[in-house]
Amino acid sequence: MDPSLYLDRGTWVHRLDPRTKMFLLIGSFVLAFVFLNPLYLLGVLAVVLLFGYLAGVLVNLRRIWFILVAIAIVSAILWSIFGSGRTPLFLFVEREAVTYGIGVALRIDITIIAGMIFLSTTRNEEVAIGLVRLGIPYRFAFAVSTALRLVPTIVATGLTISQAQRSRGLDLESGNFIERIRKHLPLLVPVFVTTVRSTNVFSMALESKGFGASPERTYFLQIAMGRRDVLVLVVFVLLLAGCIALRVVGGYGGLEGFTR
Amino acid sequence: MKEVLTMWRHTQMVVLVALSAAIYAAVLIPFKGFPIIPGAVEIRPANVFPVIFGLLFGPAGAWGAAIGNLIGDFFGTLSPGSIGGFVGNFFLALLPYKMWGAYFRRDENVEQNVSSGKKLAVYIAVAAVASMACAVIIAWWVAVLGIFPFLATLVLIVSNNAIMAIVLGPVLLLALYPRVKQWGLLWTEIMNPEEVPASRLQRVGNVLVWVGSLGGVAVGVILSLTGVASGVGIGLALLPFPILILVGSFILGGREQVEAAHEMIAGEGQESEA
Repeated sequence: MDPSLYLDRGTWVHRLDPRTKMFLLIGSFVLAFVFLNPLYLLGVLAVVLLFGYLAGVLVNLRRIWFILVAIAIVSAILWSIFGSGRTPLFLFVEREAVTYGIGVALRIDITIIAGMIFLSTTRNEEVAIGLVRLGIPYRFAFAVSTALRLVPTIVATGLTISQAQRSRGLDLESGNFIERIRKHLPLLVPVFVTTVRSTNVFSMALESKGFGASPERTYFLQIAMGRRDVLVLVVFVLLLAGCIALRVVGGYGGLEGFTR
Repeated sequence: MKEVLTMWRHTQMVVLVALSAAIYAAVLIPFKGFPIIPGAVEIRPANVFPVIFGLLFGPAGAWGAAIGNLIGDFFGTLSPGSIGGFVGNFFLALLPYKMWGAYFRRDENVEQNVSSGKKLAVYIAVAAVASMACAVIIAWWVAVLGIFPFLATLVLIVSNNAIMAIVLGPVLLLALYPRVKQWGLLWTEIMNPEEVPASRLQRVGNVLVWVGSLGGVAVGVILSLTGVASGVGIGLALLPFPILILVGSFILGGREQVEAAHEMIAGEGQESEA
């Protein structure tokens, strides 16, 4: 199992500066929250999907489709129960509450797809240096990038430990979902111990290479904002400003009659 | 709470942040496929870890839980709700170690384990209050954003956190504490007393955290069930409770735990010399 979403495609989206992609990610979150009407949100979703298509990473949708569909169903059900509107649809459910639930589902799906595109086009090293260049302290960025890098290693360790236990007769496959979780829990201790016992060696290795010896650092990976980044950011800011104007000045994209 | 900043001076603590974040994320990710509220709450056996990380690694565990949750979100559920998840999980690990010292006298053994009945009771109390604080913060945030209803999110996060931490936590802590102590990786041994604030108003801080957590849950449930407030309204009405949790965390201190650990190490050193 490889939990990493990164796809090495070499498209122009992949070559964008990581800071540009971070701004686009945050901007897409804002864009998703500008409208409430599902029709307008479908437009935003189309833009995000087009960007993912140009990046050649929509194949990763296969890995999260279950979550996206589940969000749509559960959000519509939850808001039908907890929300209210003016137009009765059936039993105690009002049309505005269902529409709002669909709108919220689209909002969350848009932000999750935007997050997937970001991670599918940006390497861990780029995330780390992007954070540092944005003013995040190096040690924090180092911890984030190291954790990101270690996740697949720890997952692999967990699989090795579970295989070792199976070879000794532990049955992890039988039983219902809760029973299977219960059987997996004792594996947490060796995963924790195997990982944490390397802390001192890891720390010594870092310090022997001058970790934290000087406040000024140099980086192997160099990043720079180019013309392409500026162009993409200008186009995106214009799109965002247009959508905000449409919503605030024009009054489009809202949802009348819904109350929480 | 200055220790959450001063800890970054220690390379061991930086490594512990990375490792605890990676462990938390690695156990969270496989369960992304079993959502309760998709995009917000899943079945999370990994939720036993933040409380354990907090007690063993202190502020490094708090940062590790926050970053680990964010990385977990990176693998399929990254959204503006992740900001609430980051802060909520930070407090889920921070409160247990901050509150731990408030339940023991100066002359008592304050080691962060469950070796006695009293310590087990304290563990359950701090795990419960941290679970409620985490749920209040996250449910408040998603209600303000209008992503999910406050009540459903609150109830599911409280039960998810509390069940995992209270049922599984003591067993895990019992197994892990001696090893972590043997490796010299307890936060109280790595950090220096002057890097951690003194606990002058520890009881007041403890009460504020309890009021903020328990009050947030109780008032939130009442407001939701009676329909008095919802959405942004409930966000405004409940704002004092996350603030109480934050203020209580600042007041709680924690230096006495570090001093006790250093005194114990010094005592063990003298014994071995003799």
